[in-house]
Amino acid sequence: MKYIKIYFACVKTAFAQAAAYRADFIMGSFITLLSNILFPLVTILIYANGAEFPGWNMWEVLLIQSIYSMSTGISSMLLSSVVWVTMDHIREGSFETVLLKPVSPLFFIISANFDVQSIGLFLGGVIMMVIAVVHTGIGSVLDILSFLLLFVAGIMVLCGMNLIMAAISFKWVGNSRIPEIFDSISTFGKYPLSIFPRTVQILSVIVIPVAVIGFFPASALLGRVDKEAFLALIPCVLFLCFGVWLYNKMIRLYEGVGG
Amino acid sequence: MSIITVEDLVKSYTTYKRGSGFKETLKSFFKREEIEIKAVDHISFQIKKGSICGILGPNGAGKSTTIKMLCGALYPTSGSIDVMGYSPAKDRMKYVQKIGAVFGQKSQLIWDIPPVDSFAMNKAIYGIEDAEYKRRLGEMAELFDIGEVMYKPTRVLSLGERMKCEFVMAMLHGPEIVFLDEPTIGLDVIAKAKIREVVSEMNRNGTTFILTTHDLEDVEQLAQEVIVINHGKKVFDDSLQNLKSTLGNKKIVSLSLAKAFNEEKLRSVLGDVPVIPGSNDHEILLEVDLDKQNIRDFLGSLNGIVDFKDISIKELPMETIITRIYSE
Repeated sequence: MKYIKIYFACVKTAFAQAAAYRADFIMGSFITLLSNILFPLVTILIYANGAEFPGWNMWEVLLIQSIYSMSTGISSMLLSSVVWVTMDHIREGSFETVLLKPVSPLFFIISANFDVQSIGLFLGGVIMMVIAVVHTGIGSVLDILSFLLLFVAGIMVLCGMNLIMAAISFKWVGNSRIPEIFDSISTFGKYPLSIFPRTVQILSVIVIPVAVIGFFPASALLGRVDKEAFLALIPCVLFLCFGVWLYNKMIRLYEGVGG
Repeated sequence: MSIITVEDLVKSYTTYKRGSGFKETLKSFFKREEIEIKAVDHISFQIKKGSICGILGPNGAGKSTTIKMLCGALYPTSGSIDVMGYSPAKDRMKYVQKIGAVFGQKSQLIWDIPPVDSFAMNKAIYGIEDAEYKRRLGEMAELFDIGEVMYKPTRVLSLGERMKCEFVMAMLHGPEIVFLDEPTIGLDVIAKAKIREVVSEMNRNGTTFILTTHDLEDVEQLAQEVIVINHGKKVFDDSLQNLKSTLGNKKIVSLSLAKAFNEEKLRSVLGDVPVIPGSNDHEILLEVDLDKQNIRDFLGSLNGIVDFKDISIKELPMETIITRIYSE
């Protein structure tokens, strides 16, 4: 209860911060939205030129990509700033100010750095999804439930990944390119899994379950998800747990436990 | 009764030797030499409840590391710290609820929004009751005279105004102990005076303060107890009174000369007053012992013998204090 209260107080300050620079906020949201709307244009272009991803029509692929935008939108809102904020704290040696708060440091950093601009990304995803769904239709109630389950799992992967990157930045302070690695890997979640070679398929389901970010929830919504998709739920949970564990471990190292 | 007990505290870091220049850099990229640095080296002390204790030392002496350990942000390598029955680093979450800290170089306020919004965030984090929050904020806003300032965005505030807000941020939850790490760094005389005044006021109401500084003036005006640290080791730990008697009642008179100075000539006129050459030919520092000589008479006598453009009277610099303590 106490933590929920703190979270909302922090989110309120995040909104106040975003509102401090109105033009910046509007531009930022607009650019995020634009860059994510431009991406599906490529898909539209592919289909408009007669090419296709085998077994998937254009609206179905757009559905995958809209859901991908929604999950990245939500996970960015929750903790995309954690990587940068941690890096800044470490570089400037100001992490102590975080340790001075009588709450979990990870929790404090997450709540104090709610990323308001990512709302644009999320809303863009929602709009695109509604348009796609109108054309594709959706499956049964059970399908919708599996969609929700996989959607949440996708967010967990993204959050876990963000935490792992943030944890790494404790050690590799100057490394502002770390997030780019994950950005490229997670691209696999934007397309139908069937177009990839078998190895990539396995990797993106079990090792780094990026397929869960866009592809699996979309297939679930369309009622054509394989049972094996639910197998990926396990690595998703593990990913998040590992991220939290690693970040906290790094904090302990920072405090100099055991010299 | 001592509120803080530190015994045999050690903090060492392992860093890597990095060369300068391209060849050395290239070498250290492949093979790095480990060096162990003892930032704090077997320090023990006690601090009484309700006192103001100054931790004095030159840059890099280990003051900040000590304060960080006292705040619970760093684990000691060895030794023990007991503050109000807590072990700061181990019981950190419970412990920090009861303390406050102001780091002169690291802001806790949120840059883009007014301090009052940052305060509101701390209210939630520390779980301060509404009535209590209003009462304390009103009290401190008046004390620091920031009634209007705290509604302006932090980024437009002057350093002095911001520092006052940092203090409020650190003390809203009514901490029993407040740690101040270089709290007056970079502040002008008026802001310094205001902050010292409030610290004394809060201290009278029972708050214990521990402050690190390399400004002897802070310590002179606030502290009852003084600990001097140099190279990670404690070199002095006693009352301010005793520090003063160790150092003597001395001031530094700094002169900017119109002509390059001639040491021999100066010495012959000044007698036994120590002359410290300044950073250039046109600057000299004179150490005046106020117990032996009245400062007014001294300045008067200077007037006739040297041709100076500018004059200022300062406290003994940190380095001199350390040397004096060592030589005692």
